[in-house]
Amino acid sequence: MENRNDKTAFFGKVTASVTHEMQNVLAIIKENSGLMEDFLLINQTGDLSDIEEKLGKCIKTIKKQAYRGVDLTSGLNGFVHTTDNARMSVNILDLVKKLISITERIFRQKNVNISIIESEKPYSVIIDPLFFQMVSFLCIECLVESFEADGAAAIDIRLSNNQAAIEFLYADSILKYEDYKEKIIHNAQWLKITDLCRQANFKAEISPGGFGILIIFE
Amino acid sequence: MDNINILLIDDESEFVETLAERLELRGYVSKTAGDGESGIGMLANESFDVAILDLMMPGLNGLETLKQIKAIDKTLPVILLTGHGSTRDGMEGMRIGAFDFLMKPLDIDELIGKIKLALNKQSKG
Repeated sequence: MENRNDKTAFFGKVTASVTHEMQNVLAIIKENSGLMEDFLLINQTGDLSDIEEKLGKCIKTIKKQAYRGVDLTSGLNGFVHTTDNARMSVNILDLVKKLISITERIFRQKNVNISIIESEKPYSVIIDPLFFQMVSFLCIECLVESFEADGAAAIDIRLSNNQAAIEFLYADSILKYEDYKEKIIHNAQWLKITDLCRQANFKAEISPGGFGILIIFE
Repeated sequence: MDNINILLIDDESEFVETLAERLELRGYVSKTAGDGESGIGMLANESFDVAILDLMMPGLNGLETLKQIKAIDKTLPVILLTGHGSTRDGMEGMRIGAFDFLMKPLDIDELIGKIKLALNKQSKG
């Protein structure tokens, strides 16, 4: 297991996703400030009607994008700080939500929509948060790669009801149950998932009740 | 300026709509599409002089969209938009047949310059 390479690759993917999205945020702010300049220039000749409305619309868009940028940088900052402690008490569902908020673009590019199913009884476990996030990300990648849908696909993430575990489920697979298991265990990411889980004291299993992967906290 | 029709394809709606408005203030006629599939659909039904295409889009990505655009209209100049650090994709796009590529955030004057160059080249070609 090339742990260092896997960590670097994971950090690379997360930061690339966030910075790409930040570029879009900045591009929208830049275009809207440019549009405001255009309006003001035209207005110097007195040709522009409803300038207040036009400028107001640009300001509203800039404000919205500034908030989007704050969310992205806060998310990235929170992610980076999950490396501060090798083991800590973590609300599993919250941590997954934060990870998805900064990485969903990666999966959206592949037409995959990720939903997190709220739990009635969310719980915390003492784990290495970075390892858990790497495992979660790999589980999603493994499912996306294993099932490669032609159109849009969906992955649900939910806490298990009867044990300390989280499940990553691929919705609406057209594969037979026997075939899907083969697909997952022959995917290159599966080996990484099981290896990381062994190091972090988690256990990875093929979901017994659906097309997915179950991560059990031991 | 004669009506120059520009097709803008980008999944960031607020970016593409603002850019369209800025191009229109400069005398261009712009239409927008929020993904590759819609852009290709518009291209099949309408005539455009230039297409501006974002490389990072969900579903049909920029390079795949470019290939399909070139299959419909080989001569249509396509200017690609890419993020910093993705110049490799921009170069790959040019290999497939894009006229040029620009980095986001854009400079409107630079974009207009590229559009004019693309139109000049096409009129001579």
